[in-house]
Amino acid sequence: MSEGGLAFETFPGKAGPEWMMRIGAAGAPPILFIPPLFEEMNRTRALLVAIMRLLAERGHGCWLPDLSGTGESLRALGDVRWNDWRHDVTSASAYVAERSGKPLVAALRGGVLLDDAADATGHWRFAPADGAALTRDMVRAGLAGVEWAGYAPSDELKADLAAAKPEAVTALRLVRLTTDAQPADAKVPGPALWRRSEPGTSDALAEALAADIGEWSRACAGS
Amino acid sequence: MIAGSDEEEVAATLRAVLVDVLGLSETRVAAFDESTPLFGALPEFDSMAVAGLLTELEERLGIVIEDHEVDADMMETFGALLTFARNKSLQ
Repeated sequence: MSEGGLAFETFPGKAGPEWMMRIGAAGAPPILFIPPLFEEMNRTRALLVAIMRLLAERGHGCWLPDLSGTGESLRALGDVRWNDWRHDVTSASAYVAERSGKPLVAALRGGVLLDDAADATGHWRFAPADGAALTRDMVRAGLAGVEWAGYAPSDELKADLAAAKPEAVTALRLVRLTTDAQPADAKVPGPALWRRSEPGTSDALAEALAADIGEWSRACAGS
Repeated sequence: MIAGSDEEEVAATLRAVLVDVLGLSETRVAAFDESTPLFGALPEFDSMAVAGLLTELEERLGIVIEDHEVDADMMETFGALLTFARNKSLQ
């Protein structure tokens, strides 16, 4: 039933191979996840993996790249430029396409600032954040004494992030939390885990998001 | 009386934000009183939590918090933070 299981593969990053986690079979209809950025990435990791497991059980192959300078990457974050991350997303989507076909791209929070760089059957976005809001949070973290919450990105990356906005993409489904007043295609109840100082997950939220992604993936694959 | 219920609403919003941002139980946060120490006393209340707390308070109370208004004193206790939130939203 759990054909494929868990695997780690590398894709060509800008300055060498970067790691990508796969849950589910390599040949199964693929979903490429673009994670939130900086501390939000850590805080939502358990949620992301829970969503990936649920989708793998339903016959999808789920892929999660480590952006250059994050996760298992050998590069120092300070050497990474915004365009390296965009390159990573393009390259990861091309790698997945070669292994198992063109993917649906599911992006969370700041990941939506990079997801247009992927070649995808469709896009799914959850709780999108623009670069200015993410920058503001990181600057505010500094008000309590720790600049950028301990992360040390280059000034170039900071400047590009601050100016980044989600780009228009086709076949887009936008999902937000019910506590978010802004318009969306669907709203789901659950905690804003990217705000939590202790990483956590929510079974109900993971299930709701996995179901929504699965449906959108089928809709995009059929169109 | 109306002012009183507004004050209660700000307190309820602040407690909800603390539950969501710090990941504390509702029971625990419901027991917070004016003198309950927050920043520097709760391990969950780290620098990123400060950012999340401010952003969530702005969104849910419809206020704008300037950086120069933020310091350790206004987050030191539940009472200090509540006073700040009430002054911003009910002024």
